[in-house]
Amino acid sequence: MGVRLKVGDYVLIVVCFLPWLVALPRLGWPIGASAGSWLQWVGISSGILGLSTMLLAAVVSIRLPGFDRYFGGLARLWGIHRWLGFASFMLVMVHVTALGLSAASVSLPVAVATLFPPINHLSIWWGWFAWLAMLVFLAPTFNFFGSLSYQRWKSLHLFSALAVVAGVLHALLLAPQQLVWWMLGLAAIAAIVWRKALSPRFSRVPYRVKSVTQLVNNVVEIALVPEDKAISYQTGQFIYLTPLDKTLAAGVGEEHPYTIASASGDHCLRIGIKALGDASAALQTVTPGSRMMVEGPYGEFYTRRYPNRDQLWLGGGIGITPFVAGARHIEAKNTSEVPKGQVQLLYLAKNAQRAYYHTLFKHVSQMREDFGYDVHYFQKEGPLTEEYLRWFCPDYAEREIYMCGPPEMTQHVRQLLLDQGVPSSRIHSEVFDFL
Amino acid sequence: MNKIAFAGFIAFVSSVLTLVSLHALSSDQYSTDAEDEHYTLEEVEEHNSADSCWKVIHGGVYDITDYISQHPTDEEVILEWCGRESTEGWDNKRPGVPHSARAAAELKEYRIGRLEGDEAQSTAPETQREESADDAGSPAADERLHRALLGLPLDGVYRGVFSDGGEMQVNVQFTVREGAIERLSYRYLAYRGEDYRRLESDHAAYPVWVQHEQIAERLEGKPLTAIFQLYEPERLIDDVDGYSGATLRGNKVLSAIRDGLNRGVYSWP
Repeated sequence: MGVRLKVGDYVLIVVCFLPWLVALPRLGWPIGASAGSWLQWVGISSGILGLSTMLLAAVVSIRLPGFDRYFGGLARLWGIHRWLGFASFMLVMVHVTALGLSAASVSLPVAVATLFPPINHLSIWWGWFAWLAMLVFLAPTFNFFGSLSYQRWKSLHLFSALAVVAGVLHALLLAPQQLVWWMLGLAAIAAIVWRKALSPRFSRVPYRVKSVTQLVNNVVEIALVPEDKAISYQTGQFIYLTPLDKTLAAGVGEEHPYTIASASGDHCLRIGIKALGDASAALQTVTPGSRMMVEGPYGEFYTRRYPNRDQLWLGGGIGITPFVAGARHIEAKNTSEVPKGQVQLLYLAKNAQRAYYHTLFKHVSQMREDFGYDVHYFQKEGPLTEEYLRWFCPDYAEREIYMCGPPEMTQHVRQLLLDQGVPSSRIHSEVFDFL
Repeated sequence: MNKIAFAGFIAFVSSVLTLVSLHALSSDQYSTDAEDEHYTLEEVEEHNSADSCWKVIHGGVYDITDYISQHPTDEEVILEWCGRESTEGWDNKRPGVPHSARAAAELKEYRIGRLEGDEAQSTAPETQREESADDAGSPAADERLHRALLGLPLDGVYRGVFSDGGEMQVNVQFTVREGAIERLSYRYLAYRGEDYRRLESDHAAYPVWVQHEQIAERLEGKPLTAIFQLYEPERLIDDVDGYSGATLRGNKVLSAIRDGLNRGVYSWP
């Protein structure tokens, strides 16, 4: 996650603290008060913030195309979602503990009655129910008792809807500041309803598989043509793909994210797919002519912040796909278009066989002066060194650097760059293996 | 993040469980205190061996039979005091050196009662009555004040009222038997013309009626002095609280009861 805060971040922070600010006049400051009242203040504050972070986590899960750009891309937004969920879980537990302990300053029976009142005090029990629902879907998220399969985890994550409803009821029955909880609560529920019930029906666009080209033994490029209306995307973005081909061995009707490998002007939507899991392995043999639903686009791999600066691209494995899109874009664009800067692409491949887009890049570099290209073979030359990088691109420290590839590669390259004093704000990468 | 979340989760569950189990344990403690039995020195003297060893320490009676084997000294040292007034031995582990606070806490576990006629002494070290600072001087908790305020009423049925602002609000009937209050009921309970006894259960003020019923339940069989708890009704009923939002005026009921007592017996039992 970058250090720079995005527009969306500021909005989130403000909304997150809003309910607490609304409650503050009644809460007051516990300065000089007894430990009991101080704990009570902490308990109530953490409860308010715990609920607002939970509701915001739900809101940011909406996955509306374009929405993620205010947060620096969907991958980063996912990171924010995860942090919000984590914060909520911790705050809710602080909330209960602090309120219990604050009542213990009166007496133990009072403390226990505060946490476990008679059953007809539903307001409190809704809170407990919300926490239990959180536990059900967060325990596998934070790997409390081992991890689950992705689809299993995804369906358990639906318990978040119960947690949201129960949490809001808990607050509405107890808190005097009703309006703010109504607004946030409805926004959260609307986001979940859209994401889970409406968006599969309304925001997926039907495409047909036009061709499947095998690049190497476990990588294919699928070309899709829209049945009706095409999605409009920019170079380097990604989409969610839901294959409907019934003959597939796995992943029929499941959505998975893939980077777009075609330039935005291409009439086909091209996707490079490497067999990394069951679903992507099955897609290697998808039937031409079958239907695929496309949702998106998301992400902003090439931020539009510095379109005129020179760039260095470092791609490896299937992480080369955004650069394939980028090269195709450069090939197709006229000189007035962005990016205006010069681009150097270094393809970090295992060996010549695995450099499956080598011919394309070679071709583009011969056609265009503003696109320099070279390939580095890991098997032959070992991990990328600073000397090699300097030889290929002497001014790399001055460029905007984009990288995408397997985690070992990006970690190695990032460290190499940071060691040379390249600020991390200039290194861009988008990984979405967790989406 | 996963590890922190898990650690937080474990810490949370542990602290809640600690709170609950502490409460469960301490309520055991209260119940043993409540049924503090009285023993005569003769009864204690019967338990003077390793098979059954009772001791009197500061007026409390302790059955330490199960503890003998755990005592850090030779058994003779501790057996010497079985069936006896052992305060001297307790206060002089070594000459002039009393047992530790930890030992005192352990001793508490073995308490079975107190020595008859030794109430005054029995306060130290193990049975210090815990009166919180709140109780000091509170008219709701000062037993002597209650006795001073009340004559000793005769057994019988009493009726009393509380009127205010030109209307009768509370009318109670209750029975006094051997200094205890019984069968408290409301012949009338209203505020601003609203009869609380006839409220529907979804009425906003319905909890107030429930609370009045609780007063009657909780006072049943209690010494008459218990009515002064109504100065702070939360001492008597458990949901005068923020949950329902309803509030109870315990002093109106108190006033009506005292009115009945002032009037004297309404009918003989």
